[in-house]
Amino acid sequence: MAHNTEYQAEIETEVIFTATVTVLNDWGLHARPAANLARIAQGFAADIYLNAGEHNANAKSILDILTLAATRHTTLTLTCLGTEAKEAGEAILRFFAGK
Amino acid sequence: MKENLKKHRILTGVAASSGIAVGRALFINRASGGSFSTEIIHPKHFVREEKRLERAVADQACEFENAETKVRGMSQEQSDLLEAYSMICRDPKLMELARKAIRQDRLPAGLAWEKAVRSVLKSFEKIDVPYLRERAEDVKSVGSRVAARLRGRKAEPSPALGCRVIMAHDLTPADTLALAPENILALATEMGGQTSHTGILARGQRLPCVVGVTGLEEAARDGAMVIVDGIRGLVIVNPMPDELAAYQKKQELLNLFEARLRQEAHLPAKTEDGCRVRVYGNIETTNDALRIRDLGGEGIGLYRTEFGYLSRLDLPTEEELYADYTRIVRGMAPDRVVLRTLDIGADKSLAGIPKLEESNPVLGLRSIRLSLYCPDLLRSQCRAILRAATHGNAALMFPMVSGLRELRQAKGIIEEARRELLERGEPCAENLPVGVMIELPSSVFLAPALAKEADFFSIGSNDLIQYILGVDRENKYVSYLYQPLHSAVLEAVRQVVEAARQAGIRVSVCGEMASDPFCLPLLMAMGIDEFSVTPQAIPILKYLIRRLNMPELRKLLAQVYDKVSTETTRRLMEKYMNGRFSQELQFINLGAKEDA
Repeated sequence: MAHNTEYQAEIETEVIFTATVTVLNDWGLHARPAANLARIAQGFAADIYLNAGEHNANAKSILDILTLAATRHTTLTLTCLGTEAKEAGEAILRFFAGK
Repeated sequence: MKENLKKHRILTGVAASSGIAVGRALFINRASGGSFSTEIIHPKHFVREEKRLERAVADQACEFENAETKVRGMSQEQSDLLEAYSMICRDPKLMELARKAIRQDRLPAGLAWEKAVRSVLKSFEKIDVPYLRERAEDVKSVGSRVAARLRGRKAEPSPALGCRVIMAHDLTPADTLALAPENILALATEMGGQTSHTGILARGQRLPCVVGVTGLEEAARDGAMVIVDGIRGLVIVNPMPDELAAYQKKQELLNLFEARLRQEAHLPAKTEDGCRVRVYGNIETTNDALRIRDLGGEGIGLYRTEFGYLSRLDLPTEEELYADYTRIVRGMAPDRVVLRTLDIGADKSLAGIPKLEESNPVLGLRSIRLSLYCPDLLRSQCRAILRAATHGNAALMFPMVSGLRELRQAKGIIEEARRELLERGEPCAENLPVGVMIELPSSVFLAPALAKEADFFSIGSNDLIQYILGVDRENKYVSYLYQPLHSAVLEAVRQVVEAARQAGIRVSVCGEMASDPFCLPLLMAMGIDEFSVTPQAIPILKYLIRRLNMPELRKLLAQVYDKVSTETTRRLMEKYMNGRFSQELQFINLGAKEDA
């Protein structure tokens, strides 16, 4: 899994972290990676979202991630808001990069 | 309803695990546990309902998380499944939806939870990736267990209740894992068939079990006295005193017989006149393998590798398969382990395999055909098998081979897998024996040709009978036509044995026919000397073999060839075996079914 762009900014007091990530593993975000991703996201205070087209998923919800139906090569937009947004964003990029 | 409370009822189901139990019933999971109150709640109760909801969710999640410590020898798949269950249970999305239903729709906790689950299930329906859509089943399973808690019904029998006969509408893998076996006398469920998860678990724990019991929920109340007859597939609710006495007597005799079987289990499978045959076990999981030796099995004649694929949410990796296979091959060494490659149809959903709407799946993309359609999958499995085979005495077997072309193609994939391993510098087995399952009539006709390119044959009698006679034995309108002693079936076995003998390869029988006491003598007389049966049948099979003698069996076979009528064959075999084993046969589940 890899990310293409990375953008970071601070608007007023809220930290925003966004990036584009591509799902690279064979079976997409199926149950086990979805569980791992949700567990990583749950470790941060930030609000973390993954967008694919019109679907917007809370990355802390395994059910949301599964219903994204992100198969291999799907491109997702990652958005983290609030406290720990940067740390959360980086952790999630690491997840998509495969470590 | 009240007057039915003590009503005597005899219910029939499918005998899924042998044995007899007498005790009191405890329901843990009814189809409809009564509906929730539909009254809207007063805003002052919002917090109370939210607390109830949080409590039920947390308790349920804890139960999933603790199940692992309670169940010894849980497989990696089962433990992954439980982890996914607990994450679904604690999912923030579900909780958010349920809270909204409490505060906005003013629903009590139970209804609010059910609404949230329905809403999530709806979004799953829209998924067009089958293996992700299928996860809706996990959501349902988790959802119903939390709902049961909100109804005030605890899913787990409390140890204080003592030993009980556990009854349920249906048991999910998570339900059965959460049960403490030491508190269970027997299992009975309204749903399910012989191959259901409940039956597998019951056989593993040696608990009597009857599944598919129509009317169970209506007839049996918590605390009712019940008899579970796992030999004949009966559940007797509120038995009469004479029935109770008869069953207690039968239970004693059964215990004595089983003790005898255990004593003899390790003696060789040798007939009275000294003809030595081999008895192997059919297994599905690494846990099953542990029992084979205890039961007197001389190896594993059929390792159904499907479980490693189906019992999980994604596809197993080569490393995971290698670890599983190695554990079994190494554990059984120097005894033989025959691994059958993936044998499922496109009707079963498997991560990464197209789920097809086939009008006739039995004749469709299944078994070796599916493996050849998804060669990556087969290659990965072959690599795992080739590597595991270096740790002991393993063999590989292809299911449902229809002819030479398929066999050669499949063997080609083994060679590709071997090359890949060599490139990686991975050790792999040099001379892995490759066998063919004889399950299709075409493979019977082509047996002489197949025997030249296969290292052994294994007759998968269940499918072979189904395809020869054109009968689905699960279809109650035609199941009477499913006859293992049909003259055409016996002729097919004879031809296969003959072809194998000509080519000098071994032939075994690994379907139910091998453990059918009325077929066994004829198979032995025809020259079958390897039988692979469901593990719990190993001791009884050896017991019977040790009391037979070949000259007599050959005489029987000659009589059968002489008569040609299926009905006379059946009568002849019943007369012979009932004459020899009148006591023992009453303890054998003659309707036992098993996939092979």
